[in-house]
Amino acid sequence: MRETPYLRHPHHEFLQAAQTALEDPELHRVLGQLHGTLAPRNRQAWAALPRSDEIRQRARAIKDQTLAELDRHLETLARHVERRGGKVHWAADGAEACRIITELLRARGARMVVKSKSMTSEEIHLNEALAAVGIEAVETDLGEYIIQLAGHRPSHIVAPAIHLTLSDVAAILSRAAGRPLPVDRTQLAQFARQTLREKFAQADAGITGVNFAIAQTGSLVLVTNEGNGRLTCTLPRCQIALMGIEKVIPRWEDLGCFLKVLARGATGQKLSVYTQILSGPRRPGEHEGPEELHLVLLDNGRTRILGSPLRESLFCIRCGACLNACPIYRHVGGHAYGGVYAGPIGAVLTPLYDGLVPNQHLPHASSLCGACQAACPVKIQIPELLIRLRDALHHTPGGSSRLEHWAYRLWAATLRRAWLYRLSTWLVARTLGRWKAKEGWLRRLPGGLAGWTSVRDFPAPAPQRFRDWWRSEGAQHPASAAASHEPHGGRP
Amino acid sequence: MTDQASFLAKVRQAAAAGRAYRVHAVDQDPAVAYLGAEGDLCQRLAAEIDAVGGRAVVVDDLPAAAEQLQAWLVEAQAHRAVCWRHPLLEALGVSDLLAAAGIQHWDQALLRDLPEPVWRARVLACDIGITSCDWAIAESGTLVMCAKPGQERVASLLPPWHVAVVHRQQIVPDLIDALLLLAAASGQPAPGETLSAHHHGTDLPSPSPRLPDARIPDGRMPALEAFLPALPSNITLITGPSKTGDMELQLTTGVHGPAHWRVLVIRD
Repeated sequence: MRETPYLRHPHHEFLQAAQTALEDPELHRVLGQLHGTLAPRNRQAWAALPRSDEIRQRARAIKDQTLAELDRHLETLARHVERRGGKVHWAADGAEACRIITELLRARGARMVVKSKSMTSEEIHLNEALAAVGIEAVETDLGEYIIQLAGHRPSHIVAPAIHLTLSDVAAILSRAAGRPLPVDRTQLAQFARQTLREKFAQADAGITGVNFAIAQTGSLVLVTNEGNGRLTCTLPRCQIALMGIEKVIPRWEDLGCFLKVLARGATGQKLSVYTQILSGPRRPGEHEGPEELHLVLLDNGRTRILGSPLRESLFCIRCGACLNACPIYRHVGGHAYGGVYAGPIGAVLTPLYDGLVPNQHLPHASSLCGACQAACPVKIQIPELLIRLRDALHHTPGGSSRLEHWAYRLWAATLRRAWLYRLSTWLVARTLGRWKAKEGWLRRLPGGLAGWTSVRDFPAPAPQRFRDWWRSEGAQHPASAAASHEPHGGRP
Repeated sequence: MTDQASFLAKVRQAAAAGRAYRVHAVDQDPAVAYLGAEGDLCQRLAAEIDAVGGRAVVVDDLPAAAEQLQAWLVEAQAHRAVCWRHPLLEALGVSDLLAAAGIQHWDQALLRDLPEPVWRARVLACDIGITSCDWAIAESGTLVMCAKPGQERVASLLPPWHVAVVHRQQIVPDLIDALLLLAAASGQPAPGETLSAHHHGTDLPSPSPRLPDARIPDGRMPALEAFLPALPSNITLITGPSKTGDMELQLTTGVHGPAHWRVLVIRD
């Protein structure tokens, strides 16, 4: 199997990891498939949805309103979950959430638990915490199961094993099976189905995430395509659901709008295959579903973000649409980002949750093209957030280089003084514009600027400034200049 | 241990500070997400089910439905079946059809009297599950199922084949209609009734073919204060066979749930 050394550093250098990823042709081939699958499906889904922009605006407005009174909605949610017979736990950080969950499981004498996919559990490193107390956690989403066996971390929010080829998957599952399995998707899926069925039947508890929690009714909503989420909250006798506090929605009626945009954002489906609305544990007379239901509400830095200019990042419903749309993600893959969350939203979330300085390349891992924002079901202004992070980085000690700092100071000073600006454009036109250009392009820039020209040309400045042209010709033909809207109107 | 009061106090403070950074989102009419479905809802439902990788057949009456079901039983090569106890399945004579096909079968109402390990082992060994649904959504090709004794969700989850029988009267145009109906059916309990006894009592659904009526109450969602006490403990929406894209983003079916999803739509 291919070596993936860039997985081993928890806080590695983005540029170095990206370079490693760029040199991996197999990774490129699998990521390239996003072009023909998830990325266009997302665009087609928005195109086929009448008034899609208004629907996404509605989802966005609900998120904004909910966050404005988040404490009230959480209080209502907790009251209603308990009214239905669930138990609510409050976790200030990941360590506390892990402690709550391990203690619940130890109190039940649990040895093995099944998990349906939860990015929040990845965020708090729950599996490691469970392993430390001798509880086996089995991931049941096929992608998560594969990467758990391989010892990798998820490289995509909804397709965690996207970095692996089919033959990698066959090799990983063959090792688990103890016999060679064919490189055939159906047979590999059957192997996972049979193996995991036994785990479901034996598990002492099920651990799930939460896609939406409805405060009004105390209901937890869980969305999957494989059905592992259904099995996780049908067969085990105890269910523990872990959610970040931003996942609450106020009303029953809000659910329709969110389910519609989530499925379209994630995979372009009208609805995901299985949506479960769980309202309390099993009731008298029922004989499936958990007898015990626990909800762990996690802060882990969310309140810090809630009161900050980057509050909008809490709108995220974890659909992965921005990853599929991002030209950077499609080239470097998820592991290059180093954090739990990859892609454009990961470039926002990882510095926020994990520290800006250790992740200082992430806010720059974007061309700010805006494809992420266009794909987002709640229209998060990701480029804007990245710019805010770049700005914050600039004002953080150790966050920007001295050279860059002075370059920007010089730039700002130049733009503030008209005479200095005129002088600098005159100089550039006289030098670079006249001497270095070949057919309008600069092939090589000096010093630190060479990074740009190592992979592409730079447009050369025109030999004559517009200002000079206007003075010599434009002003003498006011009629023709006004008739044409082109800045070079009247000139061949 | 963080207690609720201190946790919420921190959230309250942050939410207040965050109001300075609210986005200028335009509040849209809640009805904007309603898409609906025009024309023949049976045909639309069937078309959407086909589009998501299931197979749906629209038939005119019960005899035609029985014939189609028999064909599917042959195709599935089933040996053991688990079935809902449901008026529509009884009207269709599902247990006679299964017996005639030589398929061993369990009505979930019978399984419930067995000890849990026994019924669980029996259900896990079944190769086909036969259910109806509470409502079907034409716009997306979705079946809505509410947890009820005798209509357990394992029937639509564990076997590799799931066949659902849907009647025209159960079809609604949009997801939002189904959510409205669920809210209307889960409203305030009558005085004296407790949460667990209401709507989910231990009585099985009456065998008379009285189907849930899919008329939309009044198009209004419940007030924010309405807790919907009688909401079922589990509501499942099913839109397709079990799918995964986890191997090179190529669609693979049947990884955890049923790989084969068939829906019989009775127009009668």
